[in-house]
Amino acid sequence: MTSQTIPEARVRSAPDLGVLLTGAGALLLVGSALLPWAGYAGFPGKMTLSGYPGGARLYVLLLALPALALLRPLPGRAAALRAAANVELAVVALTVYFVAYAGGGFVNVGGGVYPAMIGAILYLVGSRRLPTSEAVAEGVALPDASWRFPVESLVVAGTAGLALWLFVIGLGMPSSSIASGSDLTLGPLSINDVANSGQFLAYVITIAGVALVAGRLGLLKSLTIMTGRHPKLFVAAGFIAAAAFPFTQNGSGESLSIAARIGVFAAAAVGLNIVVGLAGLLDLGYIAFFGVGAYFGALVSGSVTSVTGVHLPFALTIVLGGLVSGIFGLLLGAPTLRLRGDYLAIVTLGFGEIFRITVNNLDGSAGPSLTNGPNGVSNIPDLALGSFNFGANHTLFGIDLSFQSNYYWLELLLLAFVMTSFLRLSESRIGRAWVAIREDELAAAATGINTTRLKLLAFALGATLAGAAGTVNAHVVKVAAPDSFTFIESATLLAAIILGGMGTVPGALLGATVLYLLPEKLRFLHDLRLLVFGIALVLIMRFRPEGLVASKRRAREFHDHETDPAAEAVA
Amino acid sequence: MDVFFQQLVNAIVLGATYGLVALGYTMVYGIVQLINFAHGEIYMLGGFGALTTYLALPSGTPAGISLPLMLVGGIAVSVTAAVIMERFAYRPLRSAPRLAPLITAIGVSVFLQELVRNFYPHARSARNFPQLVNPDYQIRLGSNVQISAPQLLTVTVALVGMVTLSTFVRRSRTGRAMQATAQDPDTARLMGIDTDRIIVTAFVLGAALAALAGVSSGLQFGQVDFHMGFITGVKAFTAAVLGGIGNISGAVLGGFILGLVEVMATQYAPDPFSGGAWKDAWSFVVLIIVLVFRPTGLLGERVAARA
Amino acid sequence: MHPPRLVRIAAPLLIGALVLSACGSKKESGGSSGNKTLTIGVVAPLSGDLSAVGNGIKNSVDLAIKQANEKKTVKGYTLTMDAQDDTAKADVGATVAAKLVASSGVVGVVGPLNSSVAKSVAPVMAQADLVEISPSNSNVDLTGRGALVTGGTQVRPYKSYFRVVASDDIQGPFAAQFAVKTVMAKTIAIVHDKKAYGQGLAEAFAKEATKDGATVLKTETINPGDKDFSATITKLKAQKPDFLFYGGEYPEASLLTKQLKSAGLKIPLMGGDGVQSDEYTKIAGAAAEGDYATALGAPTDSLASAKQFVTDYAAAKYADPIGPYGAYAYDAANVIIAALAKSTASGSKSGQALRDDVTKAVQDANYDGITGKITFDQFGDTTVKVLTVYQVKSGKFVAAKTDTFK
Repeated sequence: MTSQTIPEARVRSAPDLGVLLTGAGALLLVGSALLPWAGYAGFPGKMTLSGYPGGARLYVLLLALPALALLRPLPGRAAALRAAANVELAVVALTVYFVAYAGGGFVNVGGGVYPAMIGAILYLVGSRRLPTSEAVAEGVALPDASWRFPVESLVVAGTAGLALWLFVIGLGMPSSSIASGSDLTLGPLSINDVANSGQFLAYVITIAGVALVAGRLGLLKSLTIMTGRHPKLFVAAGFIAAAAFPFTQNGSGESLSIAARIGVFAAAAVGLNIVVGLAGLLDLGYIAFFGVGAYFGALVSGSVTSVTGVHLPFALTIVLGGLVSGIFGLLLGAPTLRLRGDYLAIVTLGFGEIFRITVNNLDGSAGPSLTNGPNGVSNIPDLALGSFNFGANHTLFGIDLSFQSNYYWLELLLLAFVMTSFLRLSESRIGRAWVAIREDELAAAATGINTTRLKLLAFALGATLAGAAGTVNAHVVKVAAPDSFTFIESATLLAAIILGGMGTVPGALLGATVLYLLPEKLRFLHDLRLLVFGIALVLIMRFRPEGLVASKRRAREFHDHETDPAAEAVA
Repeated sequence: MDVFFQQLVNAIVLGATYGLVALGYTMVYGIVQLINFAHGEIYMLGGFGALTTYLALPSGTPAGISLPLMLVGGIAVSVTAAVIMERFAYRPLRSAPRLAPLITAIGVSVFLQELVRNFYPHARSARNFPQLVNPDYQIRLGSNVQISAPQLLTVTVALVGMVTLSTFVRRSRTGRAMQATAQDPDTARLMGIDTDRIIVTAFVLGAALAALAGVSSGLQFGQVDFHMGFITGVKAFTAAVLGGIGNISGAVLGGFILGLVEVMATQYAPDPFSGGAWKDAWSFVVLIIVLVFRPTGLLGERVAARA
Repeated sequence: MHPPRLVRIAAPLLIGALVLSACGSKKESGGSSGNKTLTIGVVAPLSGDLSAVGNGIKNSVDLAIKQANEKKTVKGYTLTMDAQDDTAKADVGATVAAKLVASSGVVGVVGPLNSSVAKSVAPVMAQADLVEISPSNSNVDLTGRGALVTGGTQVRPYKSYFRVVASDDIQGPFAAQFAVKTVMAKTIAIVHDKKAYGQGLAEAFAKEATKDGATVLKTETINPGDKDFSATITKLKAQKPDFLFYGGEYPEASLLTKQLKSAGLKIPLMGGDGVQSDEYTKIAGAAAEGDYATALGAPTDSLASAKQFVTDYAAAKYADPIGPYGAYAYDAANVIIAALAKSTASGSKSGQALRDDVTKAVQDANYDGITGKITFDQFGDTTVKVLTVYQVKSGKFVAAKTDTFK
């Protein structure tokens, strides 16, 4: 792919120079990461400290690591290092720019900036002089030996851990900013916002860069092979890593609260994935089922504002909430499922709105008294499991845990249950029948599939999972109010699975993460937050219309024309 | 009976706006099967375009001159926005999965709202719109039935827009090419129709009509705001589906029926299910009933076998 | 992926970055005067439909903080603001509340705007004993007053929650007494927007008006966000009311009063503090003439400090209008600032100890604000029972009657 642009002769004549330059650049970069980058306090990431690679310096370090590949002539090495060098240069340039800008000028940067800039340029020039080979990186297949299992397990579990670590960095980044007190404002953005946006941008670029490098070295392929061999281990490792998340938070509830919200909406998104992704029924009112669960949970929570006054045990509440919601799914699905495509979409939109309007009106004055109308059912008490109060902060293994971690774990359990249900269903006869209906309803009916019954089942099961998620969410948010169940919420859930990739669990997880994390992490933009979010949606769809994690078949459909092997490796 | 006829007038005025905006949904849908959720924002931009034009004119310009210029200004802004949107957001997704453009549409919608909110001067709360047509001027239609001048203007503008559009689609060469593309895009392309141009035309026409609706809404209520497109957009989409999405007469019919249901539900629905709190629920109930009996809407024929 | 192209892009980027940042002066390190920083959080909808109102709150807090810094009200500390967008949604509210609680520098919060959001924010704040003062919540359940309406005993649900506005069960009846006894309204139409604030206020109004002997028509509702209220007006007109009470906020109220008068129903509209905003008269124009609105406290136009606030707000050139709750937000922020001054004066404290102290100091607050004197009862409600009815005269709200609610 690059051979036509780099003269062959030069490449052959100076292979050692390329290795030398790249290595020197990488060493300079590693060194620079340990030096201070800012000559003033206040830039995120403790940029004034030396010997501590904080903030964006961590990314600089991370992107210099692929230079280790210089030690062995791996296939795809040159391509990977070129990618690493590109991204490295971007990260260095960006960070230097933001450090200088926020500091009021280039004179305020720290000593580490100079070796970093020289290093980045050497890295870039050197990586371009590396000998290229035609060999495309294949996945590393380990020989069938007794040590294969432990090694692969370690790699698989390590990957899960790494993913969590990256996520923690992302979540922990300062996203709120302090606006007043300083007169240094740039239009609607303050200096602090600028610093934060630079930091966040560097983070996003680095993640993309790491994925790119791993793809070019064939690491992603190996990983796919390994996780394919130990799927259960991978999932288990992922969940253990996720469960360990609260221990990294030093008793703070901020990130946990966001993570818990992502968790509950991811669960709902997986449920919606049954309806839309598997059975192909476009549902624009899915949040209503979530709402049924939430209201059910709130009404039987023993809250003083609940008209029922009933207090059921929570385990029973979840089950019943899911069931009630499932029954609603059946009732609404029965008359409408013979509608197709967009007509079904608007009917579900209608049901969603009718639900919201109804719970807003059932307050004793505009309708029967049940839901307190617009006030909602509030003051939902904290859950308690024996003497364990979910609303209290706890200390475990000497680590402080905020009360949000209790709810976070609860939602992790819910997510695990929903994901298991989805995977079991999608691989069953029923799941295959759904896919058949999605692809061609007439043909499916012709092969003897009872399409009406199966569509109804998809609707009801999706509703049940949403209902269960809703009951949990009511206890987390402590209020069930009509404002939370608007059309926009349904659209956001739908966007999550389309953005992530339809019909896959990782897709729904990733989509929910992007859609609920992005607006949170964009808070430093203040007024421009939603503006940028809108642009991001458009761009993601523009460049990955099949979603971020597409099923293999779909990915091939939309990226066939691209002959770039690297792009395929990443895809 | 006066109350009934007055409510009927109210329903026609309300339905006219819905119908006008619904036309944009239905035309784009008929040709590219895309639910353009950002169409409500095009309607909003029309209002702001007209306001900008008004502010640019020297004060004291007679209404007879400023009003047509405002319409032109509103249409220009809406059409420009729609063309840019089609070119850069939707066209690259022509061959993408069917639901991808839906997310793009939501993204565009959020973007346009926030753009106006953040960058149009003083648009963070509602902006006053010049009341060139006096709302206190009431035309009596009966002893106790009346219609205000801006309401009448809204209905007139809507009717003229609808008739012009349907004549254009039925009579003109481009219009027939649109029909052909809607029926079978591949064959239409084989027949030498530049389908890209036809799709842009559908967006342009829809945007122009939405701008008309936006301007007349501004005149009628004396204000425009950045989120006015959302509710009208959802209602207009409902109207388009009610009438049979893809069908031009259907969109108009759907708009008027929706207006009628909303107004009559406010007045006549049995207690406690009457009033503004329940009227939208009634609209959707009517929509669902209609679709249960006529799965492709009132005037829809083609069965869209996509899901 | 063509690397040379990337180089072409990246290299100028690097050079450009250096050139752009090269100009500038050496920053003094170590901060200004060793001042420590304390932060006041704001939770309000800063985007979407309600953003104008929410930003009015945010800006007013910002103004209060800037003035406190200038006057060095809290000695030895620089105050900053951390404003969070709750998008008017309960679940986002819980998240931003957690965010503020986690930020150790935050020692007080102003907000939120909506009662439904308050119900998810207040539990998180109470857990951390972080003081929260709402400039606008009027729902009775937030301070346990709901029990009083049904005859039970009031129990405070959230220990660090306070509010500087009157709850619905005070403002609504006060307005009703004025409508029936002063305006002499006989047949009263009631419209609300079916939101927590509007409905609560309208229902309290209706109850008192009926008790005082007026005929109250069946309550009508409109949808927030709608613009065409002609169907509702036609329905009301047939019943010939001579007075209309609207529960809700100014965007719909201003359109309603305009359409009311255009349709020939020339009766006064009355609203609560959500209507008492200059925006109302600006949008409704001549149609608003003679309309009423109530608000807590003595008339703002009679207090010099209130006038000064309006002048200062205008001078700060914020993008959004003050809105109906800006003045309350300004007071709420100043109550927190006064509490901070008190808490920090007695030795250097930080973290949880400081938060506990600030909450206590707010509970004991006795502050002369621009909306009147502010003190709180043991449930977090304002003890102020003085309310003012304003009437629109020549396009401005002017005080018509000030009284103590009984």
